[in-house]
Amino acid sequence: MADDERRDEAARFDGYLEALLGEGRPSPESVADRDEAEMARLAAELAASAQAPAGTEPDPAFVEQLRRRMREADAGITAVRTPPPVRSQPAPAGTSRWRLSRRDVLRAGMGAAAGLAAGLVGITLRERSEDGEPLGGTAPLVAGEGYWAEVAAMDELPDGTAIRFSTAAFDGFVVNDGGTVRALSSVCTHVGCTLHFRPDWQDLRCTWHGASFDLAGRLASGRRAWRATGAYRGDASAYPIELPDLVRPRVKVENERVWVWTAQA
Amino acid sequence: MATDPGPFEKVYDAHVVGIYRFVYARVGNHPDAEDLTAQVFVRAVEQLDTEREPGQIAAWLYRVAHNATADYWRAFYRLPVIGADHVAPGWEPADDGGRPRVEPDDRAAVRVQALLRRLPDQYRRVLELRFLERQSVAETARIMGITNGNARVLQYRALRRAALLGEPTDG
Repeated sequence: MADDERRDEAARFDGYLEALLGEGRPSPESVADRDEAEMARLAAELAASAQAPAGTEPDPAFVEQLRRRMREADAGITAVRTPPPVRSQPAPAGTSRWRLSRRDVLRAGMGAAAGLAAGLVGITLRERSEDGEPLGGTAPLVAGEGYWAEVAAMDELPDGTAIRFSTAAFDGFVVNDGGTVRALSSVCTHVGCTLHFRPDWQDLRCTWHGASFDLAGRLASGRRAWRATGAYRGDASAYPIELPDLVRPRVKVENERVWVWTAQA
Repeated sequence: MATDPGPFEKVYDAHVVGIYRFVYARVGNHPDAEDLTAQVFVRAVEQLDTEREPGQIAAWLYRVAHNATADYWRAFYRLPVIGADHVAPGWEPADDGGRPRVEPDDRAAVRVQALLRRLPDQYRRVLELRFLERQSVAETARIMGITNGNARVLQYRALRRAALLGEPTDG
């Protein structure tokens, strides 16, 4: 029946409106076609205009939070561009001690940028540029001194779990992904927010904008990947763009202890 | 010494609320408005030359915000999903010669109010109840004396009619 169909599509589209009017994040999944996308856009503008003027102001906490992040990013970028004399040890011939562009640093995450500026050692960005070359090459980004830091014991890290660790120069997780132990940055590669481990989803989730990374450090909530595999159970609509992988420091397991290669502070 | 805001932070302070309101007027919800505002300033801290004239800085920021909201709606239109690279190098708006062009952030509001006035009574009423008065579907149905299902169909039809009446916005 045409009426039933109309009722069904109206009920589905109402999912978009409920999220919009409930001050949640509406999902494109409730929108079936281009016509409905125009309706969604109109609804969004209508919802916004109905809130004007007071309801259109940003949350002061958001403004402060973003200001802090921007300040850190600006400082990190400046530090990377104008490196402080971290150590007297000269860089090996032919290598550049500071080779990240502003853009590389931002894409690696601002928290990582601060770490890099502080002399982060031995971490290779996993992200690859268009032609497949890892950004900054395959060498460690910054030459210098590092050390293995013990961050966990294997008996604390059964399959499917993650442990947060923090060294002087790096914040991250060690994860046990089906027997493979990895270290991953806890800094979202979007705007640098801190990720949280969700045991039920087996992912690292950014509570700020909903990005979600799998236990290999790859964006799991990207719509393209999700559509391609059909496997991801998370909210694929929550973060409909692509992001670089998480930074992955080197990790080793010795004597049932997990060690991560990190920088001298 | 650390309390004195640097050049970038001054730009941020001058524009964050305006950019947020500009974006909010186009996406209608705070989580996405925060996300897009953050995207604009991430781009700015990376690329914006803070030594430009204030008018040029404002024009640059609003054009980035305009593009960010256009990209946002593209996700709803199911156009090819764009990666971070899309919003990166080629994303920086061209310098248009420096004539400041700050978009009024009430353009979208004016447009939807004009649209509402052109709708049949029942359509306008259901949208007013849902959007202006923020009534639930159940409450809207009760006030209008119809079933919940019919209220959903009515709001659907009202939005469809309004979307057909309206010209596509600029982002």
